[in-house]
Amino acid sequence: MMSRNSFMQMLAQRFGAIFLLTGKILKFTFYIAFIYFLLKGTKTLAGYNLNQTMFFFLTFNLVDVVSQFLFREVYRFRPLIVSGGFDLVLAKPISPLFRSLMGGADILDLFTIPPLVALVYIVGSSLGPAPLEILYYLLLLVSGLLIATSFHIAVISLGIVTFEIDHTIMIYRDLTSLGRFPVDIFREPVRGFLTYLIPVGIMVTLPAKALMGLVRLPAVILAFIFASVLIFLSIKFWNFALTKYSSASS
Amino acid sequence: MKKYLSVFRISFAQEFAYRLNFIMWRVRNVMQILLLFFLWTTVFSESGRTIFGYNKGEILTYVFGVLIVRAIVFSARAVDVAGEISTGDLTILLLKPINYFKYWLTRDISSKALNLAFATVEITILFSLLRPQFFFQTNGYSLLGFGISLIIAILLFFSILMTTNFVAFWAPQVAWGAQFFVIVVIADFLAGVLFPLDILPSVVQKILLFTPFPYLIFFPIQVYLGKIIGGAMWGGILISIIWLSILLALTNKVWHRGLLVYRAEGR
Repeated sequence: MMSRNSFMQMLAQRFGAIFLLTGKILKFTFYIAFIYFLLKGTKTLAGYNLNQTMFFFLTFNLVDVVSQFLFREVYRFRPLIVSGGFDLVLAKPISPLFRSLMGGADILDLFTIPPLVALVYIVGSSLGPAPLEILYYLLLLVSGLLIATSFHIAVISLGIVTFEIDHTIMIYRDLTSLGRFPVDIFREPVRGFLTYLIPVGIMVTLPAKALMGLVRLPAVILAFIFASVLIFLSIKFWNFALTKYSSASS
Repeated sequence: MKKYLSVFRISFAQEFAYRLNFIMWRVRNVMQILLLFFLWTTVFSESGRTIFGYNKGEILTYVFGVLIVRAIVFSARAVDVAGEISTGDLTILLLKPINYFKYWLTRDISSKALNLAFATVEITILFSLLRPQFFFQTNGYSLLGFGISLIIAILLFFSILMTTNFVAFWAPQVAWGAQFFVIVVIADFLAGVLFPLDILPSVVQKILLFTPFPYLIFFPIQVYLGKIIGGAMWGGILISIIWLSILLALTNKVWHRGLLVYRAEGR
């Protein structure tokens, strides 16, 4: 029902939405063109060939677009906190976390996800993965989405405590966008930072590596443990943040 | 002139009113540059490698040049024009004895001054941390061309931004979408922020060079690097001046047409 409302809102601003959708597609196409022409000149990037580099980029996009599709409501959370409108969310018979996180899916992404999945399938197939590698890839995608979920929970929790969301979420997105290319291109300590502290490496680079046969089972298990710990901690933070909600302006 | 100096001072002070907003914007710029820095460092990891006509020093100069030139060209307060038209706040300025375009250009210049100051600090920090190879241009002729092309780039971006924002006269709900489309997507990529445009096939380059976008970022940096010199440099400057004349005329025309349909909603 909440997603249907979101869709109706989008229809009300359809021309703006068309601009946004076209812009998103163009941006994606420009990046693809960049990677293609870059790798045409260099042959490899950090040891990865064109198809592999393209696959890293597509996997990043898949995790990014699916998280944006699911958690778009996070971008609309601040006005609720600043105005005190969050009172109404708390009073409703629905989990406030679910409502704040997934209360308004970005329907625009419904148009971009299917072709993106098709591209992931086509480029992924060209890498000739074994069935076990495909399984690892899918599992690591789930763990990547769990990590993304935990970050979004942390962002809205921080929003309740500090009234600041817009910039935090954009910084999170900028940091994850460093995963457009394999984290192998970064040198230490940035690589370590992106692997463990802001686990972009585990979110997007590791799944793509799994499909290339570069990841073993223990790494998959560790990624899931890591994602579970982050989810646990973020929910703890959310519960703590709720105790700090001041219902200001309401 | 005095009133525009006051506008400059007030606008500069306003930027400090939203300090966190501004700092976050700068942090985002630095992150984008870091990605490009590490990407190109990896590409040029073999010493003495030359790709797309660039050596390591030149490509890293391009990356850091983007940080500086982007701070100068792309930082603008005129992004608020569409909102001003949509809410009817435009009326307040129309009633004042001030030229609307000069007002926004002054505000843009104050934003550019602040962004340039921050970009200089960022570059200093990044330089001391990353110690990249850098190409220092010493040829006065190229530096003069760089300066001229930078001024044209500022005016080109101003006219593109104003025209895009004037969409709000006819469709207030669409203006943000148009701005995202033209400024964030088209200008950012076709200006050469993500990559130097000469990695593209020569046919595509030739076509792009007949549009105004490469003259925003790519062309000034190429002139600085000394990759475009002599007749080609002056030819490029001439094309950008032609584009500037066309766009300024278009901006003026759209502005006057827009005023005819402006109904000051919300006021």
